[in-house]
Amino acid sequence: MKTTRFLTAGVALAATALLMAGCASGGTTTTGGAQTDSGGKITVWVDPPRVPAAEAFKEAYPDIEIDIVQIDGTVGGQTVRQAFANFDSAGKGWPDAIFFPSNDDIAWATNSTSNYAADLGELMPDTIEGYDPAVISFCDIDGAIRCLRNDAAPDVFWYNKAFFDEKGYTVPTTWEEYGELSVKIAQENPGKISGFLGDAYAVNRYLQAAGCPTNDRVSESEAHIDLSDPNCVRATELLDQMQAGGALSTQGIFDGDAAEAGANLVMSPGAVWWGNYLFRDTWKIPAGQMTAVAPLKWDGESEPSTGNEGGGLWGVSSHITGKQLENTLTFAKFVATDPRWQVDLSTGLPGYGPVQEDWLAKIADDAYFADVATTQEAFKSALGVVQPYSYMLYDTGSVWTQTVPSTLIGGGSATDAIKAFGDELVNQAKSVGYTVVAE
Amino acid sequence: MTNHLLEERAKTAAPSDTRGAGTTARRRRSWLRRDETLGAWVLLAPYTVLFLVAAAIPIGYAFVISLQRAPSLVNPTSGFGGLESFATVVGDYRFWSTFINIFTLMAIWLPIMILGIVALALLIHASPGRFGGAMRFVYYIPGALGGIANFVLWVYLIDPVNSPIAFLWQGLGASTYKEVITPGNMPFILTAMLFFQGIGTWIVVVNGGLNGISDEVLEAARIDGANAWQLAWHVKLPLIRPWVGYAALMNLAYGFQLFLEPYLLRQISSGSVVAEWAPTQLGYAFAFTNRNFPAAAALSIILLLITLGIGLIIVTRSGLFGDETSTRTTRAQRKERRTA
Repeated sequence: MKTTRFLTAGVALAATALLMAGCASGGTTTTGGAQTDSGGKITVWVDPPRVPAAEAFKEAYPDIEIDIVQIDGTVGGQTVRQAFANFDSAGKGWPDAIFFPSNDDIAWATNSTSNYAADLGELMPDTIEGYDPAVISFCDIDGAIRCLRNDAAPDVFWYNKAFFDEKGYTVPTTWEEYGELSVKIAQENPGKISGFLGDAYAVNRYLQAAGCPTNDRVSESEAHIDLSDPNCVRATELLDQMQAGGALSTQGIFDGDAAEAGANLVMSPGAVWWGNYLFRDTWKIPAGQMTAVAPLKWDGESEPSTGNEGGGLWGVSSHITGKQLENTLTFAKFVATDPRWQVDLSTGLPGYGPVQEDWLAKIADDAYFADVATTQEAFKSALGVVQPYSYMLYDTGSVWTQTVPSTLIGGGSATDAIKAFGDELVNQAKSVGYTVVAE
Repeated sequence: MTNHLLEERAKTAAPSDTRGAGTTARRRRSWLRRDETLGAWVLLAPYTVLFLVAAAIPIGYAFVISLQRAPSLVNPTSGFGGLESFATVVGDYRFWSTFINIFTLMAIWLPIMILGIVALALLIHASPGRFGGAMRFVYYIPGALGGIANFVLWVYLIDPVNSPIAFLWQGLGASTYKEVITPGNMPFILTAMLFFQGIGTWIVVVNGGLNGISDEVLEAARIDGANAWQLAWHVKLPLIRPWVGYAALMNLAYGFQLFLEPYLLRQISSGSVVAEWAPTQLGYAFAFTNRNFPAAAALSIILLLITLGIGLIIVTRSGLFGDETSTRTTRAQRKERRTA
């Protein structure tokens, strides 16, 4: 009797669900609906390092009512993405402007399903003109400019000048020289390291710099990933040599316990912002030691070749109009271009060209770097040699952090680690729906 | 209510013809039944409302969503998809690995947990007086450190530099968080976290079972010459089996729903642990990385079926919710029959 009742209830539940599912079917998803206008008040989402930018705006524009929401700034974090998935489903709730915690976020924010990030090429053409095409290219998605770069973040080649002078080492100019010298230094100075492999940007630092197709977006639904490409092989061989020689750390630059290893870093490719943000403010390396030179070349190539680490992206909502949109654009223009944030407060080289010289002049006043003139020159020269890289619907950096450090800690070689990374990358790409091509 | 019962009693006490007495008794039973039914509904109502809002409706909604076709980021068309989402989930390259992770954890954690609960509960029960009371309190302390507090404590304990057991980590060759929180160490770290989080509560539960054993039984065993060990092994343990079974199965069900601990361990290790370590994390990834809500709902339904299955086993096998009186009667009746 009881069994019959359970069965009846089960069948009734299933039938109801099927009916409801049938009723709910047949349409396509909607994205947003009509644009709204609050009449002027704006809400902006910023990660912790960008809070001073929003505060500077509030001070500069007291007439504009603004809500500043501090969000989780973890690169590769999921909370913002989760909130946006809910906003997209609900058709409301989006912030008016945002600093994306991960640059990959721009992939879903511009996707046809979400379509959050407005086309700023149409809305702010004058501001866009101020950017070097190489810097703004990261925001150029299918011909539309969907974000503004906060800072340019090309990798330069950092080294500890004081250490090099004391030991009499010559600064490398090619990737191959860097590999050989790193092993030599590790042997002659136990504990000294020449690179970090444990953070999300290591993929940019080494594989992007080598021109390896890890993030080659062919179209909205197609990705080109091929880690057997000769450009990937040369980077893998370099890392294998350095790892086997004890010249690399499995920690990441953002690890809470990385400061000790950071103090032992003698050289590494790294972003422009490493100088102030990492060496000076986080790892507290004394002034007069670190300095930057131009990015490295690969043997046989005439031009240097480098990656890009972050250089955050500002986005503006496509769901607003009128006074709300006008004020949001004022905010976007301020945080991307105004010297009150970009020169006075920002630790990174501004993405917006016209304020770059003032920021470069400021690092001379700071007198932190060992060789200021060379460092300034290196920053400028790196801008144009960044290798192509697209942001995808999955987080490439997270794929790196969960495969490479654990393989190396488990006793695997760099080749094993990058093989694991490549396999997981293809799996992730397929799982979000990309067709993966290897050519 | 009391007046009504007194009235009924008075009526039944008064002499009357048998027909009249039968009608009155029936009427009384009917009144009682109606009152009981009303009372039952009143008592059930808050739970029923909560159950509907927090369980039944979401489950039904999840089932409906799981039958949709996913409007993915790459292909935004949606519609009725039948069991497509279930196929997507089971066919996902991470599906089995998440279950292997959970089963590995269960294989290590559950035996330690159950042994710990039983051993400590028996020790407490065998230590009467103030000492036993004090130990009960001490064992309960880790249980009071629920959720995040327990996690924060463990973040400190597994820190290879500042932890009081840092020598242990360094002895094992680990000097950074990443070297401690490796995929191979995950089941052991989680075992430690879950053990201390749950042990206190479950000792109290099992100790409740031990307190339910009648003094006569224990005294009889002592008179028969049982020492403390024999008393624990041959008398107490068989009698608290339902409580131990209940603890085992509830922990099993909890293990399947693990999310917070592996999620936060990933944060601590700066992403060196996979984002989809547990099945629930895979569901989260389906929803927010893949934007495939039907697949996330399908995985929830799969997990629901597993945990519901475990729940049914608890109810039917442990005998904890059985009707003791009727069970005793049946046993007595069986014995009688055998004697006859």
